[in-house]
Amino acid sequence: MFKLLYSREFRQKAVPYLLIAPVLIYYALFWLYPVIQCFAGSFRDVNNKLTLYNYAFIFKDPTFYKALFNTAFIVVFSVTLEFLAAFGLALIINIKFKGSGIFLFIAMIPMALPAVAVGAIWSSGFATYGWLNSFLYYLGFIEKTAKIPFLAGGNVASMILIIIIDAWQVVPFMMIILLAGMQGLDEEAKEAGYIFGGTKFTVLRKITIPLLKPTITTALILRIISAIQIWLIIVMIYGFQRLPVLLEELVYYVDESHSMEFFRIGIAYSVIISIFVSIAAVIYLKVTGAFGKEAEETA
Amino acid sequence: MNRSVKRGAIRAARMTTLYIMVIGVAMIILFPIFFLVSLSLMSGYESYYEWPNPLIPAFSAKYKLEKSDEGYHLSIYNKAEKRYERFGPEKFGTTAEDLEKISVFVKRQGNSTLKTERLKEEISRLVDRDEVFFSLSKNLLANYKVFFQVTRDAVPSVIRSIYTALTTIAISLIIGGMAGYAFARYIFKGRNLLKLSVLFVRMFPGVAIAIPMVIILGRIGLYDQPLGLSLIYSVTQISLTIWITASIFMAIPVELEEAALIFGTTKFGAFWHVTIPLALPGLAACAMYSFIGSWNEVIQAVVLTQFNPTFPVVVYKVLVGAGAQVNLITAGSIAQAFPAVLFTLLIRKYILRMWGGVRV
Repeated sequence: MFKLLYSREFRQKAVPYLLIAPVLIYYALFWLYPVIQCFAGSFRDVNNKLTLYNYAFIFKDPTFYKALFNTAFIVVFSVTLEFLAAFGLALIINIKFKGSGIFLFIAMIPMALPAVAVGAIWSSGFATYGWLNSFLYYLGFIEKTAKIPFLAGGNVASMILIIIIDAWQVVPFMMIILLAGMQGLDEEAKEAGYIFGGTKFTVLRKITIPLLKPTITTALILRIISAIQIWLIIVMIYGFQRLPVLLEELVYYVDESHSMEFFRIGIAYSVIISIFVSIAAVIYLKVTGAFGKEAEETA
Repeated sequence: MNRSVKRGAIRAARMTTLYIMVIGVAMIILFPIFFLVSLSLMSGYESYYEWPNPLIPAFSAKYKLEKSDEGYHLSIYNKAEKRYERFGPEKFGTTAEDLEKISVFVKRQGNSTLKTERLKEEISRLVDRDEVFFSLSKNLLANYKVFFQVTRDAVPSVIRSIYTALTTIAISLIIGGMAGYAFARYIFKGRNLLKLSVLFVRMFPGVAIAIPMVIILGRIGLYDQPLGLSLIYSVTQISLTIWITASIFMAIPVELEEAALIFGTTKFGAFWHVTIPLALPGLAACAMYSFIGSWNEVIQAVVLTQFNPTFPVVVYKVLVGAGAQVNLITAGSIAQAFPAVLFTLLIRKYILRMWGGVRV
């Protein structure tokens, strides 16, 4: 037995597991344990009795369905529009030009800004007496007496505003990622496409997009996952409960209402959000073929 | 000949459209940031009472002081309305205490320093006339100073944020770096499953771990503590660190370590003296990335702190809570954004590589 433990071969084999053991222990303590606690806790009431009340409360609450609809709306439209805009821009800008370095540097800035700074920019911008109205006035688009009340719109108008803010932050960054992907492409493949009589559009559809697929899927799924979890910018512009989304509801129950009963409802919300995010994550792993790779590696 | 002229024209047209697009996009990106910075340099009066908001903050402000039977009246020149308007209360009394009040008001709302001697000097000029005009230079960075003075908990929260970020870096770099090395150098059973779990943990919503952690950390006395927060931040950061360090170690040829082994060092010696120095720039970038993640994080900090919030939470609460002046809010949020933007731009190459779908 000792011989086995001290054998060179065993030690060689054990090294990677020893290196990984701390991560496993850490994840077990600070990820798996809380996740299980979260799931179990969502089925318990304040007195630790088993109950379905937390979910029943949520599913009976009309705000939940509003939040669900708004989140879905933002995920679908923001991710689609942002991707199309970024892809279009990347296609146009995908030429070597003077000043491209500076341009890419500038395009990195919005993504580097933390959420509170983005909130400060746009809450001061969309205010009726804010800088955006001032700017439009200087440009001669509006009269002094006809300031645009950006924040006064209804549900859909509010969501469009949020999507615009999100796009301002995300589109430049997505564009850079797609540009980086395009510049890494094999030019010869595209040339071959033209030689065989392809038009610009067919080359784009049959060669550029398929070759860019890994970049595109990574960018899209990570965007979907963060769009499901949008909340801070909404709260900073509209406050709580004006434009409900899932995570904003969660923070509202956990942080704004100081009661254990509502805290439990917050836990149930976090389970619901985790399920949506996990579905997106699993789809991503499936699409990128991460599940099937073990066979190749061991073979 | 004709054809080449035509081709040249097409090229010129294409380049012109390109530059119009590029400049347009750059403007759309930069203008909001320009206004954020500009607002943070304005006085309370400029940002609130002058509409349209000035594009560029003023470097000085013009004041008018009048005297009547009731006391002194202070006015300030409103650049948007192009006239002097009442500044502060209807009237100030004439006692020394009231003069002090004028100075404080000018400092608070006008971001200028009005020394008592200067004020007395201006008042002495009022003897033979009804009103005096004077101009004061504006302290451009006043909002930054005032934000930290008037916002409760601002300075301690910065210290807490830095402490949290540094402990997060230490935990995630040690634990994640070891695993990253294993992924880069060894093929072992369960490697793929582990890689999948790491990815999954990275994508899992952080708030779902934070909420039960309120109770768990409360039990071990770490709730509302920076250390407790960094334990949670490390979960996400370890995943990212494994990802980044694995690609860093993969880029360093294993032959270098083998050469060191031939010269008689141990495996660890080779790692320490050969691999680590080569990996240092990448590891520094990785540390900065963890710093950004932890410095900017809001939702977990909102859930896991109560009396000891981190800096972004303090700025967020000021912004959401009513009543704060917009010029102070912008100053606070720029102070919070500055290190994050700086580090992101420093390590932009590494970040792009991560998003571009580079595989471990």
